[in-house]
Amino acid sequence: MKPEVILHSFGYLTHAAGVTIAVSFAGIVFGFVIGALVCAARVSPRPWLRRAGAVYISIFRGVPLLVQLLVIYYFLAEYGLDVPAIVAAVGALALSSAAYQAEILRGALNAVPRGQGEAASALGFSGLDIWRRVLLPQALRISTPPLINEFILLIKASSLVSVVGIAELTRVSMNIASQTYRPLEAYVGGGLFYLAINLCLAGLGALAERRLAEAGAR
Amino acid sequence: MNLDLIWRYAPSLLSGFGVTILCWGAGGALGLVLGFAITLLSRLRIPPLNWLIRAFIEVFRGTPFLVQLFLLYAGGPSIGLRLSATAAGILGLALYSSAYFAEIFRAGFASVPAGQIEAAVSVGMAPFDTMMRVMLPGALIAAVPAIVNMLIILSKETVVLSIITVPELMYQVQTMAAETFTAFDAIFAMAVFYWLLVEAVSRLGARIEARVTAFLAHEASA
Amino acid sequence: MIELAGVSKSFGAHQVLRGVDFSVGRSEVVCLIGPSGSGKSTLLRCVNFLEPYDSGDLRIDGRLIGYEDAPDGTRRPMRARNLREMRREIGMVFQHFNLWPHMTALGNVAEPLRRVRGLNAREAADRAMAMLTRVGLAAKAEAYPSRLSGGQQQRVAIARALAMQPRLMLFDEPTSALDPELVGEVLEVMKGLAAEGMTMLIVTHEMGFAAHVADRIAFIDAGRIVDEGPPRRVFHESPEPRVRQFLQTYHDRNAF
Repeated sequence: MKPEVILHSFGYLTHAAGVTIAVSFAGIVFGFVIGALVCAARVSPRPWLRRAGAVYISIFRGVPLLVQLLVIYYFLAEYGLDVPAIVAAVGALALSSAAYQAEILRGALNAVPRGQGEAASALGFSGLDIWRRVLLPQALRISTPPLINEFILLIKASSLVSVVGIAELTRVSMNIASQTYRPLEAYVGGGLFYLAINLCLAGLGALAERRLAEAGAR
Repeated sequence: MNLDLIWRYAPSLLSGFGVTILCWGAGGALGLVLGFAITLLSRLRIPPLNWLIRAFIEVFRGTPFLVQLFLLYAGGPSIGLRLSATAAGILGLALYSSAYFAEIFRAGFASVPAGQIEAAVSVGMAPFDTMMRVMLPGALIAAVPAIVNMLIILSKETVVLSIITVPELMYQVQTMAAETFTAFDAIFAMAVFYWLLVEAVSRLGARIEARVTAFLAHEASA
Repeated sequence: MIELAGVSKSFGAHQVLRGVDFSVGRSEVVCLIGPSGSGKSTLLRCVNFLEPYDSGDLRIDGRLIGYEDAPDGTRRPMRARNLREMRREIGMVFQHFNLWPHMTALGNVAEPLRRVRGLNAREAADRAMAMLTRVGLAAKAEAYPSRLSGGQQQRVAIARALAMQPRLMLFDEPTSALDPELVGEVLEVMKGLAAEGMTMLIVTHEMGFAAHVADRIAFIDAGRIVDEGPPRRVFHESPEPRVRQFLQTYHDRNAF
């Protein structure tokens, strides 16, 4: 085992870590937008919308991410215009994450104590205001720890986009392995970077959870 | 996508499915055994051992499964570990899932109400009997939903094995797609197949969970 | 039967028992009453060493429990085997029943007989069935705890403790977790036990039961026994203001 290999490739790995974080971040942000829509469908009073939301979640949680990624990639390759692979990568991460985020948001909405909405209604707040001032802020606060957890999962899932050529941590580790003939060091290096990113995120998540508990107790 | 094509490739697709089931079954079983062993070891409360266990769990839950696979398959030979792709795949699934199962079993033990253990202690039961007759059954029953969930997640992870050339279903589909220039159709069919499979397995899992957790249903009211 | 001399216990900085002197004689039924946080449950749980006490002597039939006298004269923790031996002779019934959910009622009662008394499956099942019959639940032998009402679960718990043929029984607020309608069936079983001469130490809020069944009432407050004596005297003629104040709230709330 030659640790120097990791040290020499530190620059490449750091850059690749940036790509990993960027891709995952894009995935979670777009995933949030789509997930919020799916969540709205799930709690909608219209049965067909609820059904549609449930089917979306079933599909994007049931089909493995790698398969989703390749479906989108080949679809864009065969029928799309000249779209770079990054679109398929972020798209797949976003669509997949949306299914999980929809459930997180739905859980958070349910977790807001019912009495709050009722009290606001009794005080004369309009429906829209109840949403904007009471339910939404609370739901967002409650969903912060699970969303941070989802970000961690997305960082790990992003390793799959290496198969469509994105130069993120896993692909760069593969390159280092083939160039230095030292696969062990290359993948340990990549793994350490993933660990570092995820430990930071986990720390953030713990902080968020503590803040949330305090806020609730106040 | 014509049926003729599927017919021609049926043997390889079936073989691929067989390898998927093999890897999932062997990996899952091994992971359960390993995870359970880890939990039992952690209950011995030996600080250096628990530190190692903590590190193991953090590494296997904090890094992508694909990187773990590459490490085993490509990096293994550097430390004398020469595994075939399938063996690396099974070992990878086992190690990956064992970290999650260890946490699941730990939570299972923690969920056994202290009162049940007090009842055993107060009647003079020996520690071995308390573990075997009260704690273990309680922990395992509590862990069933999480175990079922993890096994479903594991079944989806098997497709990642195709990247290290394990000849499971995904690999066979991609081979067929490449040879017949039907990339999108083949992969799309695979997606539909997986969706239906996971849906079916999830429902079965829910049924099993319901049966087992009936034990822990709240007491009949008044 | 049970003798406490100067027993003290603290949880960290908080002293829960302060030099308690107390005793329960053979076939006596003693009820421990007092406000929450007074230490009554802790005292009970020290008797079978479920909670270790810090200092003083706690003896069951003359034998110190939880500690042994080492050859050099100091005191050391009792060997686990000896502690288990002593616990076999003490039956305990908990507020939340603590039945094992993955065993039937019969299974719950038979389990200690098999694992601790060493009976074989047939003998254990027979003895367990007899116990369940005694508490009136023979028909529910094959039921799982989740299918039993609270009162039924508690009676199974009593059967489980009784089957071990203990020399004395400890009850930790046995009816506090029950719906009011179910309290009666459990108290009936306990009355039966008392009538048969079982030595019983009961922590309870059921003043009516205590008044009729107990030989002695002990009032505990802030870790000390403040007053004890026959029910009539303690309930109606206690010289201690704390006792009168505590009982007053009961009279007020329960009078309708």
